Amino acid sequence: MLVDFELIERARSGDDSAFNQVVQAYRKRILGTIARLIGRPEDVEDVGQEVFLRLYYSLDQLRTSEVFEPWLYRLTVNAAYDYLRRQKRRQESRMSDLTEQQVMLADAAAGGKRSDEEQRRTKVRELVQALLGKVSEEDRILLMLKEVEGLSLKDLEKIYRVNENALKVRLFRARQRVLKAYEAQED
Amino acid sequence: MDRMPQDNRENQLDGLWAEYRRACPDPEAGPGFIPGLWQRIEARRAANLSIFRRVAQVCVGATVALTVLMGVVLIPHMQRIPIYSASYVDVLTANHPNSYVDILTGDIK
Repeated sequence: MLVDFELIERARSGDDSAFNQVVQAYRKRILGTIARLIGRPEDVEDVGQEVFLRLYYSLDQLRTSEVFEPWLYRLTVNAAYDYLRRQKRRQESRMSDLTEQQVMLADAAAGGKRSDEEQRRTKVRELVQALLGKVSEEDRILLMLKEVEGLSLKDLEKIYRVNENALKVRLFRARQRVLKAYEAQED
Repeated sequence: MDRMPQDNRENQLDGLWAEYRRACPDPEAGPGFIPGLWQRIEARRAANLSIFRRVAQVCVGATVALTVLMGVVLIPHMQRIPIYSASYVDVLTANHPNSYVDILTGDIK
């Protein structure tokens, strides 16, 4: 926990300054998780604000302060999921939708201005986003939380409110689908 | 083209997740993050209030309309309907005009 239970209790009882302190304590972590979940830096703050907005209006539904973090992660997952669904509907022209030649041209144009390290990071981000773009939003978020955010199965159980075995099955299947996409990409 | 063994692919994928984690560090929130958040909280609060206000206005309007309807149409209409225009005895008398006389004179058959 990044804050003590007493602060959460104060925020729950309507203390706005306590809520502000909670936001300040968690915003970096939550924004990081959102950035990795959605893969679009320009929309991270917007989704982050949506998470804390939902938190503000749902704090009174929190049973105890002990379950605050899973609760916050659940709100984050839901907001990211809603965002990804909206994006899918909009079907915007994104880098991953462009032809390979367009991507190479864009990379070549941008490459001259970036350091080798930054180029490598960009490639990794694009590769992972491309892989995750080939699986469902549910698979994408679950894998991110487990593999990238490093959450344990116990944490995921609290967030998803399903038992460990069901989670293991879902994780295994999601991983197999990404692995398949990875193999197709490599071949 | 040779296919890599499954384990090797899985290890590569694990490595890729770790690299992705390093390539996407937690971003710092901009200076407008918290003020923007409070604006959204206030906007939601105002929207909720305006919804309640609208619901209340609709309820008040409906109540007034119903009251006027009852006052102008229903109550005068109900008052025009003669419910008790005659007493019980009057009704009996009208239905059996000779009974009383017959009883009194002993002409009951």
